[in-house]
Amino acid sequence: MSENMTETEAVASVAAVATKRRKPGLGWRIWLPPAITFIVFGALWQVTAIANPYVIPTIDGIVMSLIDDPQMYGINFLVTLQEVAIGAAAGILAGFLIAVVMAEFEILERAVMPLFVVIMVTPIVAIAPALVVAFGFGMMPKYIVTALVVFFPMLVNSLAGLREVDPKALDVLRTLHASRWEIFRELRFPGSMPFVFAGLRVSLPLAVVGAAVAEFVAAGQQAGLGSLVTISAAQANLPVTWASIVLLCVLGVLLVSLLSLVRKRALWWSDGEVVSR
Amino acid sequence: MTETNVHDGGVSIRGVGKSFGPTDARTTVLQDVDLNIRMGEFVSVIGPSGCGKSTLLKVVAGLLDADEGKVTIDGESVTAATRNKMIGLVPQAPALLPWRTVLDNVTLPMRVNKGTNAGRAMRDARELLESFGLGHAVDKYPSQLSGGMQQRAAIARAFVFDPSVLLMDEPFSALDEMNRDQQRMGLLEFWQSNRKAVMFVTHSVPEAIILSDRIVVMAAHPGRIAEIIPVDLPRPRGEELYATDEFRDLEARVRTSLRRVMGGL
Ligand SMILES: Nc1ncnc2c1ncn2[C@@H]1O[C@H](COP(=O)(O)OP(=O)(O)OP(=O)(O)O)[C@@H](O)[C@H]1O
Ligand SMILES: [Mg+2]
Repeated sequence: MSENMTETEAVASVAAVATKRRKPGLGWRIWLPPAITFIVFGALWQVTAIANPYVIPTIDGIVMSLIDDPQMYGINFLVTLQEVAIGAAAGILAGFLIAVVMAEFEILERAVMPLFVVIMVTPIVAIAPALVVAFGFGMMPKYIVTALVVFFPMLVNSLAGLREVDPKALDVLRTLHASRWEIFRELRFPGSMPFVFAGLRVSLPLAVVGAAVAEFVAAGQQAGLGSLVTISAAQANLPVTWASIVLLCVLGVLLVSLLSLVRKRALWWSDGEVVSR
Repeated sequence: MTETNVHDGGVSIRGVGKSFGPTDARTTVLQDVDLNIRMGEFVSVIGPSGCGKSTLLKVVAGLLDADEGKVTIDGESVTAATRNKMIGLVPQAPALLPWRTVLDNVTLPMRVNKGTNAGRAMRDARELLESFGLGHAVDKYPSQLSGGMQQRAAIARAFVFDPSVLLMDEPFSALDEMNRDQQRMGLLEFWQSNRKAVMFVTHSVPEAIILSDRIVVMAAHPGRIAEIIPVDLPRPRGEELYATDEFRDLEARVRTSLRRVMGGL
């Protein structure tokens, strides 16, 4: 138990992040600094691109490529989105449910966790080609790779959250002879949510990585932004490559934004944010 | 220290012993503890830090098993008592659920172990909160309440399902002195019209005197009962009692007892 805790704590450490309240009239302090960073970065990019056209494309080149063929980009975006959505949903669900069972039956954690750690430290890039051999070039290997990438952070964070209950509240429930299910429903499940959301915060960007890597391995056979990156890079079609990278980035940003929106609504009662690594 | 009337209901603690630690380095935390708390009796437990007050309370609450001896509640085992939802626990911290409103926190005991709800004189949670001075706060969340109000909500949660026994472990220790006094008078007033068997752990001598029928003074290493001091002050009691000679005499007596226990004399 104590061994597991140190490991768990290392992965999911709690940090109370002071909620930033916006002072009236100081809104520019919020958006101006990052805006300047982006503008400077864009300018540097553009200058470098103009000087070295065979290294990176210009920003207007990327934008033009996107405008030229929105349908092609749209279809590939949706394919990757589908891989991320289904794969991540499966990995999140599996991670959380197995954490629930582990939290209830400690012996199971001791039995199965080492296997999960072994799977986790195996480079996913190495597993992906093997899965393609096993499942072909269809969507299945992409779902599996994405789910695998998401599974472990979800498992570890959920487990930490389900364990980290207020011991005094637990005492109250135990003197009431509350059942396991009632303790789960009243205390463990809602109490685990800050950790679950911390897990999601790591998992969702990882899911995009997983889907892209899976596509790299099966490039040329299937659509998707990752395939688009490898194909266009092989043809030295830099604007397409970078446009696809930008779209992968947009996908990640969209998922994370959506998540913090949901988090704000679901976890208003939690004062600090649980930061996961 | 030996008491008769085992079966008048209430709490009966008989020869309870409890040790912690591995077999080669065990420390005895409780040794041969005997105590009866009658139905409707308020008993405080006071003693040096680490003498085993919380451990004793946890044994009575069914959160820890005693190594020796036996605890019965209303003549039943502690397990049977918890199964029948006969014990209300007020922990040291309010331990309210931050995602639930005050009302939903107070009705928590009704939502669990529902089989025992039938035929029970459940209190109306809103009315109860009203009488605890929390009528305006029923729909608020714990984080919107002061520490004193949170603790009152935790006490209301222990009263709401009409248990026969109330166990409180230093419920006011986290509050400042003024707040503390206000909360303890509130508890006194409420308990006087809703008599339960109460085991109340405290570090405060005046608090123990004003609330209790008897004060149990515990000694440490190993934790045991050193003395039981009866508090024969008339009820209902109020704040005016603090200023009386009887109160001061009792206070001196309890402090002397504590000094003896702490000094090891
Ligand atoms: N689970 C445990 N394992 C080992 N030792 C324990 C455990 N629980 C309590 N103890 C020890 O038993 C002794 C009594 O603890 P307890 O919490 O009952 O004291 P207490 O009288 O409530 O003290 P305080 O007034 O500080 O709350 C202490 O020395 C404590 O270290
Ligand atoms: Mg204690």
